[in-house]
Amino acid sequence: MEDLIALTGTQIAEQINNGKLDEGEVFSFFRGRAKKLNASLNSFVEIYEEPVGAADTRGVPIAIKDNICIKGKRITCASKILNSHRAVYDATVINRLKQAGFKIIGTANMDEFAFGSSTENSCYGVVKNPWDNSRVSGGSSGGSAAAVAARLVPFALGSDTGGSIRQPAALCGVVGFKPTYGRISRYGLIAFASSLDQIGPVTTNMVDCAWLLNVLCGFDQYDSTSSQAAVPDFNNSLVDDVRGLNIGLPAEYYGQGLNPEVKSRLDETRAVFEKKGAKFVEINLPHTEYAVAVYYIVASSEASSNLQRFDGIRYGLREKASGLKDVYFRSRAAGFGAEAKRRILLGTYSLSSGYYDAYYVRALKVRRLIKEDFDQAFKNVDIILTPTSPTPAFKIGEKTLDPLSMYLSDIYTISANLAGLPAVSIPCGFTKENLPVGMQLIGKEFDEATLIRAGYSYQCATEWHKYLPPMIAD
Amino acid sequence: MNYQTVIGLEVHVQLKTKSKIFCSCPADFDAPANTNICPVCCGYPGVLPVFNKQALKLGIRVALALSCKINDSIYFERKNYFYPDLPKNYQISQYKMPLGEKGYLELPGGKKIGITRVHLEEDAGKLIHKDNYSLVDLNRTGTPLLEIVSEPDIADTQEAYDYLTYLKLTLQYIEASDCDMEKGSLRCDANISLKLKEAAELGTKVELKNMNSFKGVRDGLEFEEKRQANCLETGEKIFQETRLWDAEKSKTYVMRSKEEAHDYRYFPEPDLPDFKVARELIEEEKKHLGEQPLDKYRRFTAGYKLSGKDADVFVQDSWLGKFFEEACGHFNRPDKIAGWLLGPFLEHVNERGRESIKITPQNFAKIIQLFCEDKLNNLAAKKVIALCINTNDSIEGIINKEGLAQVSDSGGLRGFVDAALAENPKVVEEYLAGKEQAMMFLVGQVMKKSKGKANPKVTREMLEGKIKNLKSDK
Repeated sequence: MEDLIALTGTQIAEQINNGKLDEGEVFSFFRGRAKKLNASLNSFVEIYEEPVGAADTRGVPIAIKDNICIKGKRITCASKILNSHRAVYDATVINRLKQAGFKIIGTANMDEFAFGSSTENSCYGVVKNPWDNSRVSGGSSGGSAAAVAARLVPFALGSDTGGSIRQPAALCGVVGFKPTYGRISRYGLIAFASSLDQIGPVTTNMVDCAWLLNVLCGFDQYDSTSSQAAVPDFNNSLVDDVRGLNIGLPAEYYGQGLNPEVKSRLDETRAVFEKKGAKFVEINLPHTEYAVAVYYIVASSEASSNLQRFDGIRYGLREKASGLKDVYFRSRAAGFGAEAKRRILLGTYSLSSGYYDAYYVRALKVRRLIKEDFDQAFKNVDIILTPTSPTPAFKIGEKTLDPLSMYLSDIYTISANLAGLPAVSIPCGFTKENLPVGMQLIGKEFDEATLIRAGYSYQCATEWHKYLPPMIAD
Repeated sequence: MNYQTVIGLEVHVQLKTKSKIFCSCPADFDAPANTNICPVCCGYPGVLPVFNKQALKLGIRVALALSCKINDSIYFERKNYFYPDLPKNYQISQYKMPLGEKGYLELPGGKKIGITRVHLEEDAGKLIHKDNYSLVDLNRTGTPLLEIVSEPDIADTQEAYDYLTYLKLTLQYIEASDCDMEKGSLRCDANISLKLKEAAELGTKVELKNMNSFKGVRDGLEFEEKRQANCLETGEKIFQETRLWDAEKSKTYVMRSKEEAHDYRYFPEPDLPDFKVARELIEEEKKHLGEQPLDKYRRFTAGYKLSGKDADVFVQDSWLGKFFEEACGHFNRPDKIAGWLLGPFLEHVNERGRESIKITPQNFAKIIQLFCEDKLNNLAAKKVIALCINTNDSIEGIINKEGLAQVSDSGGLRGFVDAALAENPKVVEEYLAGKEQAMMFLVGQVMKKSKGKANPKVTREMLEGKIKNLKSDK
């Protein structure tokens, strides 16, 4: 069964379907691996005894970030405030996975309420990077990325508000895809920032990614922000051909702060695409420098409101208290971690009367300018190539005392959320210390197909996605 | 001194939709506590609102009835505050871009009260306070509300009462709301301030809450008017504050001062897109407007020549008004129809309940016609009404069966007249002596003998004739 690790998710599914593999044995295999290796990685919050899925289907295991509702199962967002809350309904993506036959293996660790870039803000402790256990897995979907990278599960779902799928995917050496805002229903995803959040797949390769996107994407009547735009069959985009593709290189993404090794890997990536016939165009996204500031105002403002429901009244943690206000104060003080409190305060401040126009309204205006930068750029290019993260995985604890430097690790991923654009992180090599590096491809609104074609073509020419972390090789 | 009272009213009405405004739960909060609820209206983590278009339609209808300008595109905002009856701890409401603006409501006297804005929002739940704990019933959470804010155009407490009366009628006419203040489907807060008649600037306003009836609104405002006038006389400062009306003690007291006022941190609801208010939708709702109460009042006074008091009854009671108009269609004597409807008919209705009334306006008109044509006398007509009001049996059938047809021919009456005269010689003497009331007694005697069938007019003529003959005989 060890050779299961060498198979992709779609290959496993195929072999289950044609009877070469037994679905139960596949599940037991991955469950056993997850149980065994989670002790060192901490990528799972909970590993189920029995698979969760439609009874009469056969399918592949998948891990779900612990902020997506699975009916009857504990959901925590890696926060103490949800306590022993169990979801009372299935998220739309869970329904879709069940219908497609997927078997849910458990819930993946994350930064509390997805606030973070290192999964150090989890009440369950940090997720370790499978390539180097002294380093972070990235975040906030660090559990999903680490689990897939360590082949504890072939597929995982993450959520991406400012890079929370792509950045950990880059740091763990897997594929992480954030679709266009509105492509995948958010119903059942515990909101961080409603206007930015998107669920997306974490896989080892583009074929698995396309397959999972086919399952997840589509209009949902329960999400008013979900799009009615037609969803193409992404399998049709698994074509090894980028001839004539115009790829933009934004100067703003290759400047100060970019680790030289990451830059070298991006240069090599460019060479791969050029060799396959793609053309590169220098572009400018002039408002990029404001993206992080805009993001922390918009995202924190929405989060401060979204998290108000965690008040100790109806579900979740309630501390012993005397009187109503005391219930609120004590429960929220005990339930939320430091980063959650920081963002709630930041957001509350930005929305306060007297500050609203100077912060929130202004941030929305700049957000529009950032979107317009992309509109302008996409007049000349089909996709944009950037690094996913300025650095490879950093040491656990390295940035925890300096929130600003932590926030800057999302500098390249945030804009796609602000503009609502699809973007994917794909492994594109390693540093001298054998740490994975990821490239990011950003596409036009609802043009996931071109990203899949470019990513697939790249993986046809490279082997980076096939490398296994040393902990597996050992 | 000479003060001018300045009043503005904020009215919340529940729109008559089948389901709640952002989920599909029945908008019926009379059900047992917490039975008409779902994850969405309970604000469970991960849920999203979906806007009920019926609420939009009814909102448009109200905005049209109040001659508002309807905005082409509207959006919702979050009003953030913590309270246990509000499970998300924010209310989805409208703020900067309400559904309707700049309308007015005209009162019977011809004065137009400006409508500042009309906006949609969700209702909160209900708290039931016990000795040392409180219970939360979320049935009402998410029922659609329309907030109707008036300009400070209301000049006295009676005008406030009239405004509420006509607002309620208007909304009931277009079937947008039941407007039952006792059931909470209409709620009213008031702003009141006083200024010197000649002053241009408004005085310090006080917000008044907790009025449970239109009378309560008038009483509370009257108290506040006197209190503020007294403050101005004695030089006591009037604070900008919120006060509660205590109907039992007939006084207002401070609930919170301006300093304690909430900062609601309004911002656009990111879970809902902007909604275009299509022209076709507005045109469609115009068809539901029908006649407005004030038009009807004017038609009833000018057209049917009814008194203002009678017209008011028909305007306020649409069912009665409709009955009246249909009856007039069958027998064109509005004065008589109105008199009989508001007299004997209404007595039965109040006694037996509206549901039990079976008589058609046509049959009712027939009774009044028979009365006017001297075919039924007053007593008999009342009896016929009493007998067929719950059955709508044939009028002729009842008259024949009960023998109620008025006897107007002298042949039929002669025996009764002769007997009455013969039995009451003393009374005849009195009449001859000039006592007019004696005749009434004699007519009554004939009535009695004829079991109420005698035509009183003919009877009187015959009695007078006979007595005259008696006199000349002597």
